[in-house]
Parts: sequence; C-alpha cells; structure tokens
Amino acid sequence: MKVKSQQPTTWLDRRELIKATAAGAGALALPGATFAEEAPRKGGRLRLAMPYNPAALDPMTGRNLPDLNTLYAVFDGLIDFVPETLELKPGLAKSWTFTEATTLVLELVENVSFHDGTPFNAEAVKFNLDRYKTDARSNVKADLDSVAGVEVTGKNQVTIKLVRANAGLPSILTNRVGLIVSPKSIQDKGGNVDRTPVGTGPFKFVSWQDNNNIILSRNENYWRPGLPYLDGIDMRIINELNTAVRAVVAGEADIAVNMQAPQKAIADRSPNVVAKAAPGLVLYGAFLNYGRPPLDDVRVRQALNYAIDRDEINKIAAVGLGQPSAAILPKEHWACDPATQNFYKYDPDKAKKLLAEAGHANGLELETFGWADQQAMQRQEIIISQLAKVGIRVKLTALAPQQAVQAFLIEKKGAMSISPSSAYPDPSQAYEALFGKTALRNAGGVELPGFRELLDATMAESDQSKRKEAFAKLQKFVVEQGLQLVQYISPAVHVASPKVMNYRDSLLSVPKLTDVWLKA
Amino acid sequence: MGFGTLIGRRLLQILPIVVFATFVVFSLLHLVPGDPAIALAGDYATKERIEEIRKLYGFDRPLVVQYAVWLWQVLKGDLGISLLSSASVLDLIMQRMPNTILIAAYAFVIATLVGVPLGILAATKVGSRLDAFITSIASLGVALPSFWLAILLVIWLALDLHLFPATGARVFSDDPLGALKHATLPAMALSAAVIAELARQVRSALIEVLGSQYVRTLRAKGLGPVSILWKHGLRNISVTLLTLVGLLVNRLLSGAVVIEAVFAIPGAGNLVAYSALNKDFPVVQGVVFVFVLMIIAINLAVDIIGALLDPRAVQE
Repeated sequence: MKVKSQQPTTWLDRRELIKATAAGAGALALPGATFAEEAPRKGGRLRLAMPYNPAALDPMTGRNLPDLNTLYAVFDGLIDFVPETLELKPGLAKSWTFTEATTLVLELVENVSFHDGTPFNAEAVKFNLDRYKTDARSNVKADLDSVAGVEVTGKNQVTIKLVRANAGLPSILTNRVGLIVSPKSIQDKGGNVDRTPVGTGPFKFVSWQDNNNIILSRNENYWRPGLPYLDGIDMRIINELNTAVRAVVAGEADIAVNMQAPQKAIADRSPNVVAKAAPGLVLYGAFLNYGRPPLDDVRVRQALNYAIDRDEINKIAAVGLGQPSAAILPKEHWACDPATQNFYKYDPDKAKKLLAEAGHANGLELETFGWADQQAMQRQEIIISQLAKVGIRVKLTALAPQQAVQAFLIEKKGAMSISPSSAYPDPSQAYEALFGKTALRNAGGVELPGFRELLDATMAESDQSKRKEAFAKLQKFVVEQGLQLVQYISPAVHVASPKVMNYRDSLLSVPKLTDVWLKA
Repeated sequence: MGFGTLIGRRLLQILPIVVFATFVVFSLLHLVPGDPAIALAGDYATKERIEEIRKLYGFDRPLVVQYAVWLWQVLKGDLGISLLSSASVLDLIMQRMPNTILIAAYAFVIATLVGVPLGILAATKVGSRLDAFITSIASLGVALPSFWLAILLVIWLALDLHLFPATGARVFSDDPLGALKHATLPAMALSAAVIAELARQVRSALIEVLGSQYVRTLRAKGLGPVSILWKHGLRNISVTLLTLVGLLVNRLLSGAVVIEAVFAIPGAGNLVAYSALNKDFPVVQGVVFVFVLMIIAINLAVDIIGALLDPRAVQE
C-alpha cells in the first residue's frame, strides 16, 4: 500500500479561501471597505492572558491540553494542522508516506536550526521519538505505543516502524510527540528541560515565572520566511476567568484565551473588545460503568440518552454556545458523521418505555459522581432534573475532579460520573481512551463485541476518505450503544482587542500564534 | 523576666510550631481523598502512568516517611521543587511573597490611618449621630465580602475612571510607584474589614477607659479632654490595640488569598490556593512554613512592643 500525503500546494486554508472570495464576486455583496485586507504588520508584543499555568514546557512531561498554548509557540510539530478542521499539513516533515501499513517515512525540511543554533535533522527526530517512548518521566508513552522503532534512513529522512497499522500516527505527530526538542539542550540539562524549552518554533523561550507569566521573543531565524510577525509574546497566567476578561477590557491584555461560555456573555457587554466562541473538542458528557447492572443493559443507556434534553442543557450551561451532540466529535471535525451526531432526539416517553422493557418500570437509582464547582453543579442539576422526569433518580456525590476520578475510575464506585473529557489529536485515540478495554476512563473494563474491529478499521487505511468512512461506522456503534452520555461539545471562547489580527480558533482549543499580528 | 528571656522563649517555640503546623497541613492534604498521581498524570492519564508516577514520586510510601523526608530536606535548607511545574519552591516563595507583603502592609497602613481615628471619633462622641453612623459603617465593613467589594472597586475605579490598573502587580524594587498603583485597589478591598474591626474595637476600649474612675478624677483635676485622650486614654488602650493589630495582620495575610485571585496578583496566597487544589505538597508545605515563621515573627514583635508600652508584661 502506498498512499502519498497531501502536498502543500493542494492545501487551501480558510484564510486563503477568504482572500480568494474577497477577490472574487463575493466581495461585491459586502461593503467594500471591510474586505480591503491589510497587509500583516511586523512588530509589537502580544499580551495574552490564559487561565492555566503549564505543568512543564517539555512536551514529554507536560500533561494538560493548555500547555500547548506555549509549546506550539516554541516548538514546531513534525506535522502541522489546519486549526479549524485539524486536517494535516506539512510541518517539520515536508511529506509523510506510508510505504506499507506498518512503515511511515517522513521527509524532513532542510536547513532548519534549533534556537540554540544546533541543526534540526533526522538524528534529532529519532532522539526525540525514542525519548518520548522510553524515558521514565515520559507522560506520552501511550501516544507511541504503536511504534516499534525509529530509524534514520537519510540525513533528512526518518522511517518509523509500527507494531500494528496506525493510520492515526500522522495526526498524533501534530501533538506532543511530534514536537522536536533540541537534543543538545536535553543533554546539557541532564535530561530535564521542563523549564528550559529549546525548539525550532517561531518564538524563543525567555522566562517563566510560575503561575504569573511566560515571556517569549521572536525567533529571528525562523525557517518559514517572513514569520512570525510579532516581536514577542507576554503570556500572563490569570486563573480567574472573569479577571482575565477584565484585563482585556481594561487594555492590560490584548487577548484572553481558553475562556468559557459565560465569559463571552460578560465580554459582549464591553464595546471595545471582541468575544468569539468556536467549536472545540472538549466534550461535556458522563462516563458510564457498563460493566455491571444497571448500565450493562443497552436499553438503560439508551433511555439515559433519550431522557436528556441536550438543547436545554446547552442553552443553560453554555449560554447556547456549545454544540448539542450525542457523538464525541463536533460536526466540524473531519471524522464526525453528522448522520448519527444527533441520533437521540429528546424523547422522555421513549426513555420510559425503554426503562420498562429493561425491567425498571418504577424507575431506578443511579449512584453518580460529579464535580463540585459552581458551573458543574449547575449543569449537573439540569441533568438530574431531566432524568428525574423519566424516573431515573440520580444520587449525586460532588467532588473535586481528581477525587471523582479516584472514586469512579479507580475505586470503581457508582454507575455514572458526569465530567468533561479532553481533546485528542487523532480521534482513534479518543475512542481508545474512552472505550478501550484497558482504558482508564472505561470504568467497567468491558469492551463491547464489535468495538475493536471498528476501531482497528479506522487505523488500517491511511487514506483520509476511507478513514472517514471507518469513523462513521465506529461513531454509529458507540452512539447506538450509548457508551457515553454526551450532552454537548464545549465551545472554545476567546476575548480580544480588535487590534489582534489573524487569530484563528482551533478545534483543539489551543492557539497557534505564528501568523498573528497586531494592528498599529 | 527580661527581654532576652522573652525572645529566647519565642525562638524555642518555633521548631515545635513549625513541625506541628506543617505536619497538620501535610496530613490534611493526604487525608482529602484524591491521588496526587492522578493530577500529575493529567488529562491523558493511563492506569500504567498513574502507577509509574506513584513510584516515581514516592507516593506509595507511608505518610510519616514522606513527611520525614520533607522535614529532613528542609532542615538541610532545601524546600524542594514543585510537583506540578518543577520550579524551586524557594524561588517561587521569593517571587511571590513580596507581592503579598506589599498588599498586606499597604492595607494595614490604610486600615490604621482610617480605622483608629474613626474609633476615637466615635468614642469621644458616644451616642451622637456621628457615632451611630460610624458604628453602622463598621458593621457593614465587617459584613461585606472582600471579593465583592474588590469587583465593585475594579468596575468603578479601574474600568470606568481608569484611575488604577484592574489586574496584575509590579515588583516594588523595580518600580515602586507602579507597584503602589497596582496595589492600591487590592489594598483598599482588603482593608475594609480591618478598618471596621479596628474602629469597633478602638471605640469600645476607649469608651471603657474614658468612663473609668481615674479619668473622672483627671477631669475633676481640670485636665483638658485632648490631654486626657492622648496621654491617658490612648496609652491605656495601646496594649489591647497592639494585640488586636497582631491578629489583624494574620487576617490580612489570609485575606490576600481571595483578593489576589480577583486582581490576578502573583502572590503567595494565590500560590498556596492553586497548589493546594492541585495537591502540590512541596509548594503548600513551603508556603505554610514561611507563613508560620512570619506569624511567629509578628507575634514576637507584638510582645516586644507590648513590653515597651507596658513593662508589667515582662515582669509577670
């Protein structure tokens, strides 16, 4: 099997699309002035507020999604992606080819150096991938569990041998394990570069004061010509979301990222800032323990799914900015099949009927865990009241997130845990992490017959359209079986001053700041 | 007993208090269910990774052993590194503490300058409308949540009038004026409850003194009201006031936790709250350790000044 990856020339992103439209007839329909696109201006420092302190600035030891806000500025991925759809495009690897199902060959860009002046090459890639896979401190070993070994097959060519077919690997290489750290910096620091990241990315790391700020400056020798536009980025870590919004309103920050739905409502009241909500990959759902009664009965799980009114939950808990969904992916994602995304229409009568068929004509009680913060409580209360209407009595224990994980996933208590779930670079990882037999998030430890074959099929073929078909089948199976009680896909909200240009919301909810610029 | 004994006795208390306080905090953090390894494994945790982390960081060892290891390191002068971000705990505290001390000290100055005169005014005009007004303002000050007041101040003085910054802090030694400007709103919000408390306490202590028999004698002797107030009244309540001030300083430090969150101030309160939520033991322990030292130092200062004001305290 030989499938060639997309070439740079065939790839068209939204920005270029807008340019093309603006040049064409579309521009006539709109006021001319708005489309006189300005040329990007070089210079200025972006003051960015974000709520989370990174755990580490080493891609290997960091552990939460928002770490990537900084990582993507300092490091380049082997493979890049279109923010709005997560479709792949060339990064440090200018092309990637599956020469057979278990062999992936990467052709690397040439004449690129790390911020410390050392050259980026195939040796550096092998060094990093080996480190991600084997280092004792690595938090990302699971991302490379399909990799058998990495070989340098040319100065700028790397061949990755797999233990099994994994067409998701190129997507995975857009994330942590695809970010290439200067091997010299790692050796100089005795292996620990948690606080001293050296990459090839558009910005160089200057300093990091915990839970206060991260300072980055322009990489003058960046390999993509003309980029980045900004002189640097001053990231301020402001844990309290409303405080971050106030910083933008007061002109003390240019943009606040990783905000939530309520912050859009707050920012909308200020005329001098722009607030936008875009689809993300974080889903609000409930994990179900279907390894034992009562949720081992598909009818009960389906009843749960019919009993919740996703539109109402979205309206109240996410100010209507989320995307009601029964599937784990938003409709914008290439692997989402809209046909089954809203498989369950709100139907309390059907829910009651299914419960009766399953022998729970008088309803049933579900021991449930949830989160104790105010927003989670609000969401949980809506769900509880909706389920009560069909006779499902939720006995909720609200805890701190880690405690809920401990009780439900590790100690295996309860039947259900209402909790958001994070984003994964390749959807096959998300399905594995949520429903795989040994996955932490699969509390019951049961894999339904048929699931594995459908999941394997998504990784067997590297052709995107074939993968899309395979994911459609997998999504249908998971939704019909009611393996999750997804309510809605969370919106990713940012609040910015109008002088921030070219900021693109990413499905991954993590900004890429390479081509952001500031209006004078 | 002289000053030397007083100071010596306080210093001897440090070790047991530090051990007791840090051990209680350490145990509390461990007794609350939830495994720190889960936080450390992050959003993408696998079972294997959680198990590995437990071993890597020694969470699988008995609680007492973990505590003893920490204490031994501290005695060697090493506060360790943050579990969450690998930053040196000592560096973190050194970066953060000045911001907390600045807003607490600033709030303390405001509270003293406003609260004490208000109390005196109320006490000298007992039963008047002014007294009633000050007393009700003081009750309100005690009752208002500081974070609510903080948000009102931000909306009014920062977002509408642009007089002060809404968020952040500056390092005092780099930019003293900027630092004070940034600290003004937080200090105002933080001082409200303390002003109220000071005014109420000064008022009631002073009323008691001014109503006592010897003051009546002084009046009979023909001494003027100003002289009575300054030479006798205030001097007599000074020890009470000092003890109160010691307690209020401790309250200012703890109140900073909430205020720092509202104003996005990178202070020690913010640090300890964030670290406790994320079970970052070394940081929480380190901050508690430093807070304990600070509070002991404040109490020592209060004792010494108290002894100067009232030599009987030392003789006892």
